[in-house]
Amino acid sequence: MKADLKPDLASYLLAMADDEMILAHRNSEWTGHAPILEEDIAFTNLAVDEMGHAGLWYRLHADLADEDPETYPDRLVFFREAPFFRNIQMVELLRGDWAFSMLRQYLFDVAESVWLPDLASSSYQPLAETASKIAREEMYHLRHTQAWIRRLGRGTPESHRRLSQALDEIWPYALQLFVPQPAEEELAAEGLVPLKSAARETWLAKVEADFKASDLALPDGGEPPTTDRRAHSEHLVGLLTEMQSVARAYPGVSW
Amino acid sequence: MTDTQWPRFYVFKQDSPDFPHLNCGSVHASDGEMALLNARDVFVRRPDCVSLWVAPASRVAEVTVEGLAALESPATSGQEQDYEVFTKSASKGQHARVGKVVANSPADALRKASEAFNSDSWVWMVVPSAVIVASPEDEGPAWFEAAHDRPFRHQSFYRTERLIREIKAGQHDPPGDD
Repeated sequence: MKADLKPDLASYLLAMADDEMILAHRNSEWTGHAPILEEDIAFTNLAVDEMGHAGLWYRLHADLADEDPETYPDRLVFFREAPFFRNIQMVELLRGDWAFSMLRQYLFDVAESVWLPDLASSSYQPLAETASKIAREEMYHLRHTQAWIRRLGRGTPESHRRLSQALDEIWPYALQLFVPQPAEEELAAEGLVPLKSAARETWLAKVEADFKASDLALPDGGEPPTTDRRAHSEHLVGLLTEMQSVARAYPGVSW
Repeated sequence: MTDTQWPRFYVFKQDSPDFPHLNCGSVHASDGEMALLNARDVFVRRPDCVSLWVAPASRVAEVTVEGLAALESPATSGQEQDYEVFTKSASKGQHARVGKVVANSPADALRKASEAFNSDSWVWMVVPSAVIVASPEDEGPAWFEAAHDRPFRHQSFYRTERLIREIKAGQHDPPGDD
């Protein structure tokens, strides 16, 4: 890898890690509150998986940033302020109802199913290996969330109404997934990462097929609320306050 | 009052190709596909597994040695179909799959099962093969492999419990605390 691309790839990985971490934390709020015990376990597993993936991306980020991969991830997660997080706004939105959380996770899973196989052939070997490991788990996530979207879409008038409402709210936010990141073209030219703009078309086609099977219409167009990953909604601060509270109350202790 | 509880499904798990499917418990789900997904999360998060089956509890029939005589007489007509047979030979332990019978009713299947697989079993369970939803054979990795390379850590691996006790005992005062 060209040395001058190292910081750009590091930023790219930090963005992926933050997306997974914040989504995982939001989803973990369902633990103990999901509609049925089995789903409580399943959705919690899913959140734990995403948290694990975030950990893997943070470690790769640490390597490229010449930081200690053992300790740096905790510093990033527990001691960074909101403006320094690089997640998209979709993942920080409040968990909403079951349809909202499930649809958000589904849209994220489809996106991952699109770019993980490409990342698995990255010219940066550590990235390729991590992506191929994560891709296996993600296949299962997608199957789970897909099954739920179909059932909510074709379940009862209420489940359909809630899912449609969630879609209206989430859709523009989901489109931020495909906003190119800084130096993405240079990274792609070196075979390090795929282009998000190309992923968007594949994502749309997959989502449209599932929506058809769920009696949902694909929203027309739409624009993400921001194209800047440094910009956040007011919800991130509240999430971080809770997520970071214990680590900050007792800094230096080992859990 | 409406019953909001989803139907129950039996779960059968096969740990390796050399072992039979074992009944490991049950899950609630809206339908077979969801039951299979739930079963994977509830029963195969960590351990080895090569194949997972679920079947609606309402379609599972069971009889003990003592109950055999009281089985209703076999129907004279009725569509013949395959039934998977599971037996148990100890009061503890799980029902293990032993084979198949062709029968025209659950009672008929139980009787045939008790005749064909009678070595030391004291309970027989039959499930119509057609109602079983199985994990797709060509998707093994997606279903089970991920569980293999995930480390399993016992609670004692983490210092959390001891740390909480220390915090409560005032050994780690937070910054700013007087």
